[in-house]
Amino acid sequence: MADILLEPARLDYTPQMLPEPEVSFEKHPEHKHYLNHEYGLLSWLLTVDHKRIGLMYLVSVSIFFMFGGIAAGLVRTNLITPTGAILELDQYNKAFTAHGTIMLFLFLIPVIPGVLGNFLVPMMIGAKDMAFPKLNLASYYVWAAGALFFVWQLIVGGLDTGWTLYPPYSSKYSHTSVMYAGLGIFITGFSSILTALNIIATVHKMRCPGMTWGRLPLFVWAMYATSVIQLLGTPVIAVTVVMLAVERMVGVGIFDPNLGGDPILFQHMFWFYSHPAVYIMILPGMGVINEVLTCFARKNIFGYKAVAWSSVGIAVVGFLVWGHHMFLAGQGYYLAMVFALLTMLVAVPSAIKVFNWTATLYGGSITFQAPMLFALGFIILFTIGGVTGLFLGTLGTDIHLHDTYFVIAHFHYTMVGGMMFAWQAGLHFWWPKMTGKMYSDFWSRLAAIVMLVGFALTFLPQFAVGYLGMPRRYPNYPPEFQIYNVLSTAAAYVQGIGYLMPIFYLGYSLFAGKAAGNNPFKATGLEWQTSSPPSPHNFETTPQVYFGPYEYAVADGLKIIPLNDGKIHDIVHEDPDLVGTTPKEATHGS
Amino acid sequence: MFAFMDTPLLPEQASEFSKEYDVLFWYITGVSALGASVVYGLLIYCCFAFAKKDGVAPKRILGSNKLEFLWTIIPLMFFLSFFVWGVRQYDYAINPPAETADREYTVVGKQWMWKVQHPTGHREINEITLQEGVAVKITGTSEDVIHDFGIPAFRSKFDVIPGRYTTAWYKPIKVGSYHLFCDQYCGQGHSQMVGKVHVLSQENYAAWLEGLYRVRDGKNPVDGSPAWEGRKLFLKLQCINCHNRESESRAPTLEGIHNTKRALLGGSTVVADDTYLRNSIRNPMLQVRDGWKPIMPAYTRAQVTEEELLNVISYLKSLKPGDLPSRSEMSPAPVGAPNIPDPAVPPVPAPTTGGTR
Repeated sequence: MADILLEPARLDYTPQMLPEPEVSFEKHPEHKHYLNHEYGLLSWLLTVDHKRIGLMYLVSVSIFFMFGGIAAGLVRTNLITPTGAILELDQYNKAFTAHGTIMLFLFLIPVIPGVLGNFLVPMMIGAKDMAFPKLNLASYYVWAAGALFFVWQLIVGGLDTGWTLYPPYSSKYSHTSVMYAGLGIFITGFSSILTALNIIATVHKMRCPGMTWGRLPLFVWAMYATSVIQLLGTPVIAVTVVMLAVERMVGVGIFDPNLGGDPILFQHMFWFYSHPAVYIMILPGMGVINEVLTCFARKNIFGYKAVAWSSVGIAVVGFLVWGHHMFLAGQGYYLAMVFALLTMLVAVPSAIKVFNWTATLYGGSITFQAPMLFALGFIILFTIGGVTGLFLGTLGTDIHLHDTYFVIAHFHYTMVGGMMFAWQAGLHFWWPKMTGKMYSDFWSRLAAIVMLVGFALTFLPQFAVGYLGMPRRYPNYPPEFQIYNVLSTAAAYVQGIGYLMPIFYLGYSLFAGKAAGNNPFKATGLEWQTSSPPSPHNFETTPQVYFGPYEYAVADGLKIIPLNDGKIHDIVHEDPDLVGTTPKEATHGS
Repeated sequence: MFAFMDTPLLPEQASEFSKEYDVLFWYITGVSALGASVVYGLLIYCCFAFAKKDGVAPKRILGSNKLEFLWTIIPLMFFLSFFVWGVRQYDYAINPPAETADREYTVVGKQWMWKVQHPTGHREINEITLQEGVAVKITGTSEDVIHDFGIPAFRSKFDVIPGRYTTAWYKPIKVGSYHLFCDQYCGQGHSQMVGKVHVLSQENYAAWLEGLYRVRDGKNPVDGSPAWEGRKLFLKLQCINCHNRESESRAPTLEGIHNTKRALLGGSTVVADDTYLRNSIRNPMLQVRDGWKPIMPAYTRAQVTEEELLNVISYLKSLKPGDLPSRSEMSPAPVGAPNIPDPAVPPVPAPTTGGTR
């Protein structure tokens, strides 16, 4: 063995990649990347490049986010006074429904899979594109068509059922565009299914040499788990919407008790999709956090396997807990008990993730650029969102808190505090890769702090007022709750300013930003080993992967012992101790 | 501007269950706060202790199975303790005890009001009046969409679903008036589908059953009580034509008359007890009130039976200042109706204004 030990050498992390192109956009204006290798509207509308499609999603979801945000602004402003400050009753109902449906179906569900998933999954696994590039484009158009149709219906006819669409209200009593809005949801669902299919196929078949399952970045693991949920869950919501349509249009009794139907059946079917859907929303966000935290802490992820398998665990158990939305709907004592138990079990993987993230910071060398601030914000807010979920999953405590502002606050702490912050972290982290430009450090950090403070103060009072019993979806409320609502609304404006800030400094960076360079954050992922912006086919040559993700400690100069051929073949992932160690030399090289 | 002093911090504990509920609530809160503090503490420690320093390389740590095991098992144990305790509490909350068997209330929800029926035959709308210390069972259903009958002060809530019956039970332990909310979104007037729960002491509750106790000002005697029956007669027999607030010159308003001293024509006085009230109807000329003309017609047995007369007297006894209805009875406007004040009628606070809850 001794003959293979050479002099300890400082590892430059890049050797895992074949020759890195020594070009950057600024020095070589002729450098052709995916943004400038062809021009014209058609080159965008007909592109099958996953990166361009990702950018098209970015623009689209940002617009829909603004629609949803405006609706949220109307809702919060109306709640300043106990009798409704600006809206009539039915206007308020349409506003909160528009906020909920747009944010869920057109922002939270597509944002990370659509933008970051599209852009990054092929690059992270060293592929040229998705497995089915044309299907990818088709999936964008299906989504865009459904989304535009949906928003158009919200504007011309409105929808006042809440995003939950419970019959018999939605099937018989609402006189708004329930059917057309449902059609919009139905169409966007197809896009979810197609995207999921594409990502699963890509992860299975398109990994570059050496990219084993155990070396996949955790973002890819998260996207994979998400896609499995989408593929299995979305058809159920599609079927449910069709059943609703059959009842509303033809009068077949499925959910309406007057026609012999059962309204609780709808709730079962709706939540069978919509509970896993919250994991569709949050899992990709958790994936982003893994990438960002490791990079800015310069650390391996603590417990790669635990984090990866907790994603899969969430995806599986997440399908079995839908009944916890219906504890008070008369679903039966033993059924409620089973759902409550499974709910407690699904809380465990999320807790594991939070502890692993925190432990990842231990022993690191942490810097605090904007993506890291967003990621820390995610952990802070998601922790609150997670523990408040325990109150709602516990049968006894849910009785009082069900359908109050406590639920609203819990949901926003996980979905906005979690997902929105993960999305911002991801957007800021990969913005230099997408555009080749770097944004303002100061303004981006300021935006992270404004969003965090605004967000936390918006929803903290809602926990209090929810415990006091204020029901959700109330435009009018008892006057003694006013102070809580005013606090919440004031902070919501601060939060709104936070969300507007990136438009300015990210937009500014597009035109006047400094060139970011290929790897401004010195990250180890494959996507960072190519040029910024990447060339149309991502890599000049097919990359070869020799070891797992997040070897930041190695990249930052930890000494390791290479094998006698001068290459690092593997870094053995079996050291259980908490202390920093020198990785053992590989024992199974060629 | 804001009623700071009225802003509550914690919800009232008005039922037996609410006290037990809060113990579990604060237990979960405590454990959650502890867990969050551990995470936040580590986060803050790491951010300060491991901020980037020149010449200090990060350590290469891949994980620890011991720690993974630890932070899987410890949260799981706490979560399971929530589960077990929560199930016991849920069991307690949804299964009415035997003592409630003969005190079953029914509630019917419809867009956008609550109709409550007491086992005694009394009926209420958007209000439910209960006796302190007496456990009651409540069964609900809906005429149209799904509603939810929620009383925060009791920590109670259950969906009211068309086509099936759902139940809850309460044992109120504190006298007072509490919010009643519809918690399941039910359309335009969802936030108007609110009301009050009144918990009364034993004696007030007994009086309330008779129609002699008001749970709030201006509230008519409860539907189903003797006073309510008397009120109907009071209108039917046209007593209201002279005994009203608009034409005070013809007859006294009778509000608050019971057991007061009345000066009679001729200088004597009399206490307006039940007998006096009865005589004033059967034979009004016997004792005429000083200051009024003797124009009150006598009502014979052919017009008012003895049973009916008891109900009328019960109503007169229940009258408090401001209770007498105007000659054209106003009922609350439906949700969404324009609020046009009637100049002939003093403004009645309609529930649509929101401020009356």
